[in-house]
Amino acid sequence: MLETARELTLEAAQSAAINRTSSTDYTSRTYSPAHIKKLLDSRHEREVLDGMRKVISLMYRSEPSLTFFSAVVKNVASANLEVKKLVYIYLVHHAEAEPDLALLSINAIQKSLTDSSPQVRTMALRTMSGIRVPVISQIVSLAIKRGCGDMSPHVRKAAALAIPKCYRLDPNTLPQLMGYLEILLGDSQYFVVGPAVAAFLDLCPDEIDLIHKHYRSLVKKLVDMDEWGQLATLRLLTFYARKCFPQRTQKVKRTAPEAFYDDEKQQRDNQNDVEEYEVQVMDPDLELLLRACKVLLQSRNSAVIVSVVRCFLYLGPLEYIATAVGPLVALLRTPQDMQLIALYNIVAVALRVPKPFAKYTAHFLVHANDPPHIWRLKLEVLTILFPHCGKHWKGVIISELEHFSKGTDPELVRESVRAIGRCAQADTSTAGMCLRMLLGQISSPDGNLVSESLTVIRHLIQQDPASHKKTVLQLVKHLGSTTHPDARATIIWLVGEFAGIDPENNIAPDVLRILMKGFADEMEIVKQQIVLLGAKVYLHHLLQNPPKEQPEQIAPQPFPEVPAKSQQEFHNEWTDNGNDESQDAERTEEGEQNRQENGGAETKETEEATEDRITLLWRYLLLLARYDTSYDLRDRARLYKSLLETPSSTQLANLLLLAPKPVPHAPSPSETRKDLLIGSATLVVGSDAGYHGLRGYTNLPDWVEPGQEPDPSLRTEDVKPDTSINTTSMTAGDRLDKALREHKTTYIPSRGRNGTAMPLDPAGKKTLDQWLQEEEEETETESETDSEEGETDSEEEETDSEEEPGSEEEDDESEEETDSETEAVHKEAQQLLR
Amino acid sequence: MSGEIDAVYIYDEQNAPLVEHVYRSRPPSASALLPLYLAHAEPRPSLLYIPSASPPVTVFSTVESNLLFLAISEVDTEPLLALEFLHRVIDVLEDFVGAPLLTTKIQANYDVVAQLLNEMCDGGTVCNTEPNALQEVVEVPGWMGKLLGGIGVPGTSTPTLGSTNPLKQSLAAASASQGPAIPWRRPGVRHTSNELYVDIIESLSVTMAPSGRLLSALVSGTIAFTAKISGVPDLLLSLSAPGGQHVLGRKIELPVFHPCVRLARWKERPGELSFIPPDGRFILAGYEVDLLPIDPDQEEPPSHMEKLFLPAIVDIRKSLGSSGSEFEVRLTLNTNFPGQSSSSRPGVPRSGSGTSTPSFLSGGGSGSSGPALEEIVVSVPISKSVRHITDMQASRGDAQFTPSSGLLEWRVPTGKDAGSLTGTATLRCSVSGYPSADDDFDDSVEDADEDANANLLQGYYEAPTSYNDASASTSKKTRSSDPSKRKKKKKKSTKKSSRSAALHPEDAEEDPGAATSPSPNPSIPHTPTPPLQSQSQFNAHLPAFFAPSSTSRPTRRTKAQVNASLMPNSASVSFSVRGWLPSGIKVDSLNIDQRRSRGLGESVKPYKGVKYLCVSNRGVERRC
Repeated sequence: MLETARELTLEAAQSAAINRTSSTDYTSRTYSPAHIKKLLDSRHEREVLDGMRKVISLMYRSEPSLTFFSAVVKNVASANLEVKKLVYIYLVHHAEAEPDLALLSINAIQKSLTDSSPQVRTMALRTMSGIRVPVISQIVSLAIKRGCGDMSPHVRKAAALAIPKCYRLDPNTLPQLMGYLEILLGDSQYFVVGPAVAAFLDLCPDEIDLIHKHYRSLVKKLVDMDEWGQLATLRLLTFYARKCFPQRTQKVKRTAPEAFYDDEKQQRDNQNDVEEYEVQVMDPDLELLLRACKVLLQSRNSAVIVSVVRCFLYLGPLEYIATAVGPLVALLRTPQDMQLIALYNIVAVALRVPKPFAKYTAHFLVHANDPPHIWRLKLEVLTILFPHCGKHWKGVIISELEHFSKGTDPELVRESVRAIGRCAQADTSTAGMCLRMLLGQISSPDGNLVSESLTVIRHLIQQDPASHKKTVLQLVKHLGSTTHPDARATIIWLVGEFAGIDPENNIAPDVLRILMKGFADEMEIVKQQIVLLGAKVYLHHLLQNPPKEQPEQIAPQPFPEVPAKSQQEFHNEWTDNGNDESQDAERTEEGEQNRQENGGAETKETEEATEDRITLLWRYLLLLARYDTSYDLRDRARLYKSLLETPSSTQLANLLLLAPKPVPHAPSPSETRKDLLIGSATLVVGSDAGYHGLRGYTNLPDWVEPGQEPDPSLRTEDVKPDTSINTTSMTAGDRLDKALREHKTTYIPSRGRNGTAMPLDPAGKKTLDQWLQEEEEETETESETDSEEGETDSEEEETDSEEEPGSEEEDDESEEETDSETEAVHKEAQQLLR
Repeated sequence: MSGEIDAVYIYDEQNAPLVEHVYRSRPPSASALLPLYLAHAEPRPSLLYIPSASPPVTVFSTVESNLLFLAISEVDTEPLLALEFLHRVIDVLEDFVGAPLLTTKIQANYDVVAQLLNEMCDGGTVCNTEPNALQEVVEVPGWMGKLLGGIGVPGTSTPTLGSTNPLKQSLAAASASQGPAIPWRRPGVRHTSNELYVDIIESLSVTMAPSGRLLSALVSGTIAFTAKISGVPDLLLSLSAPGGQHVLGRKIELPVFHPCVRLARWKERPGELSFIPPDGRFILAGYEVDLLPIDPDQEEPPSHMEKLFLPAIVDIRKSLGSSGSEFEVRLTLNTNFPGQSSSSRPGVPRSGSGTSTPSFLSGGGSGSSGPALEEIVVSVPISKSVRHITDMQASRGDAQFTPSSGLLEWRVPTGKDAGSLTGTATLRCSVSGYPSADDDFDDSVEDADEDANANLLQGYYEAPTSYNDASASTSKKTRSSDPSKRKKKKKKSTKKSSRSAALHPEDAEEDPGAATSPSPNPSIPHTPTPPLQSQSQFNAHLPAFFAPSSTSRPTRRTKAQVNASLMPNSASVSFSVRGWLPSGIKVDSLNIDQRRSRGLGESVKPYKGVKYLCVSNRGVERRC
């Protein structure tokens, strides 16, 4: 106790001193290089450390620090851990610039690889692999090999992390590295396996043969790994499952769902049954994975949740993904930056399986403080969920969209109107309601809203033209009051497209006539549509009144009574307006224009007059267009003119103008991303990432064909000896080494405490019998290996502390506790797994 | 590959590179990348693909205490992995150099930052982000430094001391050889005073229809835990809610937990959290509560909605006054919190140590027994076509309109002098849109009515680009009914509009005499429409407006209609309540399982504190 008190005072004094000096040092930004050099060359560790700190500060401030390279490298062998760490950081940062000098330090680092302290060994291995000088790749490879066999899991972890770095130094080391990977993948420590899996993904993601025998242990360790290890492992296993578990379906009787997992016998029984349906048969190993993943759904790491969702979505049956939807939605609680990514993933999942999301509709209501990229996705989710909600929520969604469409942000207005259109499209029962609402928007003073609404209305009409004749009429009424050119153009196009179909209720010529009066004042886009409308009207006219052919074509066509009536009223209203003028025009030019009008002779007298006018209109329109300022418009007019030049041959014009238009389908904006892999950056970037996605993007492989998959026994075979990984492939000598290593692992504490640095290769301190016994013990059972190991460890720890009488009671106790805790954790993990 | 972080860059408040740490390959440097990143218009999404960088990179970004954190990757990296990593970096840095992060603190601790970044990610693979584990390998400006009141003290526990302490080293060696038994807790924790604190923070978000009907009411909760306790304690935290244990299980939805929590125990008995805590402050769990559970398949609107208690409700009445240019915001406060008959808080308030948790925890506690409603701010988003808000009359507190952000903020005081909070407060404002600053169509404008009509369109398109009319800012009611006066003024502005390009940003409202020199205001957000284009679009389509004049002339929009389009269409209120949770969840008990705990004496009775906080960050939103 006294000792510690003294330490504390010492420490306090020191930190106070540092505080005093540093407050001046750190605020003054300029250090003279000479001063720093002097500090680095000093014999006092404290001064060297101070110098190193300054060098690192310079480095981070992007000020020249390379000049100190030689002075820094000198300190690489420093006994002081702090100095060493900073030197290592400096070395890794600058080694590329000074490869020759960096090589000088390799020797010292290599020496540290055999240091007694695992921390020093870890640092040395990490630094050595981080030095980007390709010459040393073989040395690094050797260091990794040594690291793989280290008794400290920290060093083994560093070895796993070093493997990709070594591969990048020199890709030719791949075969050696794969050998090391094989060892590390079978490591008993979950936090060694995590980085090993990451290294595997980096190095050789397609070599799934390496994974077979570790598959089950990986699944088992999944829960215990840290989040980053879980991420790598989940990815690996998802890809692995696609490659190794073929999708088998089995015909099962509806009445006997319990026969689910039985084999061919059951299938044969069912063969002649009528009420069969196909059931997906899950490989038990795949089910093991999916079950292990379930626990991860309560992870605090959002990336893990999305990974699990990916696993369930692409591998599991529907009931699994349904359980993952809630946790996925819960990611909306995260900060906005992560919320955005979560929403992208939610949209991608909801496009495939919308139903389970319906429960969480309330989460996707747009808030006033959502930035554009967030509300855009929220609106999309709402429209996707729309058909799957009850009436109540449908009403809420529609009124929400209506609310936003009346807002002031033009983008938001546009998106919400489009969203209304998608809602109408997805759920026909509410289409009428949506259409009514959109029609209501047309009279809005907001031009943006009007034009967007019209576009959506047009889509809706085009999808079902037959039932929207009245809608077109209504739209025409708005033509007088709408100023937005896009809106006008849309309406005119609609008139041409649909109002001309039914010859008896044709309002198109009248609309054309009225529009032509204001032709000169229209925007170009509107003029174009007017010319097009004129062409269509004229063409219809020609078709109905072909020169001396099929006079009875129109007669048998029945038309409903009611629309005709309203039509009539409308018709009159319009004709009344401008009757005089057109009559005048007609009279003056009647003589010349009469030549094609003979075809109409067989129809009634009154109609003949109007038909006459149509040709006149067309001529007039061409005239107007001919003297327009826009050459584009003039060209168009010329095109139509020559198309319709000869009244008898209308086939080409018919093809061009009256071809049935493809029904526009407004898909969800993210529909294009639907096939991208959940959780990837490419999913978020979308089409900007190019056809193949971002670099390094790989989509999931297809399910392996049944019969092509690797033998399932590959997985069962080697999984049993969990701790002594690959008994089959190891030579007897290797096995001996391995056992010794394990022996070391358990006994290292006592060594460390004695303070004697032992050479790394332990001459057999145990007899052969002892280690054989130990190995047997460890390989006894398959499922309990983990807890078994925990037990042995803690037992040994206890004996250790007994051997150490001088140690402090409290600390020892805690140490012991940590061990039994591991055991508890292991046990718990296993319970969860079951 | 699931995730490769090529580099982490941190920029300071002025966007100058502060920390540049490259993990692998050769990504574009921090200074080269920044302009490419900033080229994207605000608000920037958290993932940006920058193909113009060499090599092309994806940039993951987050902002914390005004510092910009970027993670760079050349290959497809799981975005959430990168962002989670950035957030962990932030948490850890806050832990080590002190929250909130400041440029000076980071600069003074470059060596610590370097070690941390070096440890957390190795060669692009994220590997060690547990604060406790990092404390093992990175020397901390530890509690000793904090004790001495130093901020930015470099490592206090000196290496010499470390080497003279064989016991410590041997223990470290033991843990190093075996692997950490509990990855999240560092061994050998010792505290002189043992303390345990539970903070439950719930964030309320409510959406109300114009009718006042509730559309949704969600609560997202966070349980922050601070453990300063020696040895390896095994804790059991029991939560309770009105209605009993079985209700709690259904009430707490979608929980997430720190890895230390035993999931099996929770599954077995919802509401019981059994765990061995890490040392220090951490987020134990997160959950959410739906205060308004509605069956998705429900056909009828639910009827039970009115029961929900809310401390603050906001409402807007629009288009008031003679010309319809006024609106009134009504705030109804209610501090009669349900179920708060007596003080149920076991602990006294304290100042939070606030490391990795939101900083609002660090506010001083109140000694009063009842829940305290505080920090009431009503925010009303204002349309961009509104030029100015005049006549702001608040019955309590004061309001402020910032045209650049388009937000009207009304703060209602809650101090002791404010008296009783319960009741209704009102704020009445009148809005004015943009005057006809654009003169290009001056000739075609025939009467004031059309002018007004044009105004609206103009205001709509031109919000961020138009400039002040000197006349408009002097007259309170911009839509003055005197056409002759108007015309005169218009002529005045014609001269300047000819030379000032449409690209000039809007003048600050506070500067009425700005007619001569339009000063650019950089804070004005740009609309997606390029200004020049919209200008021409507007001018060009004006004739179209008159085009159908021969048929039916469009109905002229009255002043009221114009004003109606300037009205806000939603309002939200922010507040915080200490000592009350909307979900009604309470900490029932916090016990140390003595049987399973180690290193903590039998006699030690740690000090326990519980704090409840409800916040609503513009969370109660009313549509109208």
